[in-house]
Amino acid sequence: MNLSRRALIAVLALVFISPIFGVILADMAGFHEPLDLAAEALNLPDFTENFNWTPFLDYTVPGLPDEAGYIVAGVIGVGVILVIGLGINRLVKQR
Amino acid sequence: MHIPDGFLDITVATITYIMFFIFGAYATKRIKDTTIPERISLVSVLAAGIFAAQMLNWPLPGGTSLHFVGGALAGIMLGPWLGFLSMSLVLFVQALVFHDGGITTLGANVLNMAIIDVVVAYFIYRTSIRIFGPKHSVRATAAFLGGWLGIMLAGVAAGLEIGYSPSFPFGFWVTLPVMAIWHTILGIIEGAITASTILYLARRAPQLISSEAGEAE
Repeated sequence: MNLSRRALIAVLALVFISPIFGVILADMAGFHEPLDLAAEALNLPDFTENFNWTPFLDYTVPGLPDEAGYIVAGVIGVGVILVIGLGINRLVKQR
Repeated sequence: MHIPDGFLDITVATITYIMFFIFGAYATKRIKDTTIPERISLVSVLAAGIFAAQMLNWPLPGGTSLHFVGGALAGIMLGPWLGFLSMSLVLFVQALVFHDGGITTLGANVLNMAIIDVVVAYFIYRTSIRIFGPKHSVRATAAFLGGWLGIMLAGVAAGLEIGYSPSFPFGFWVTLPVMAIWHTILGIIEGAITASTILYLARRAPQLISSEAGEAE
């Protein structure tokens, strides 16, 4: 099996276990980044929810529970990255 | 460390976008001039891996959490130009598809995670290998320091960016210590993950560490 295929299998494995860390443990612990702490100190406004353009906000998928949505969002993200990567590959090989 | 819409003053958002465009234009030129086409396919595979790794949030005692950022790993594996491209690809998809990080703040997020983190780690790793030679002990130490300092300086940059606000003069004296202290701590874990990944690659697939071969310059 070539290196890229093995790497992609590892990536998909990460995506499939990601809800354990990204949803379940994050909810239990109350997800909070240092950036949020710094922003709270200045009362900076977060416009993310008022100014949104995507149905997949915060790695959710409409109609799916958070855990399943997180996996589907991960697969979508990996897919979009690989498609853009193929485009970059073609551009470079054409030059 | 993804700055959302609303956190940045218009001046800071504009300046960081300009820095992103200047670095991006220069990086594109260097990629066109010097990159071996086979290396390009690594950009998206590594970007996919970093994207997936960033979805794993590890809660920490004290009510905060961390995730692997990956800029240092991209810088060491691909060099500053392709490393920038790989991390920018991750940040673009996160912002545009998942609104993780804002659109007005994309320039700042790229500056922190795809430029500062990538370049700092690459510079530390490349310099260490040149001075001390390609030994596993040097690789582990340099990759650890690259991961640690890369995240720390990216955090400091984010602290300065969100701390600058006309409505809160000298706000960075509040935000800078929070970001610097937290990322000095979280950077240890980033450094450890970066070092163990680089050591694994050095043993199993050393051809993937292009900064050692000098190809990235």
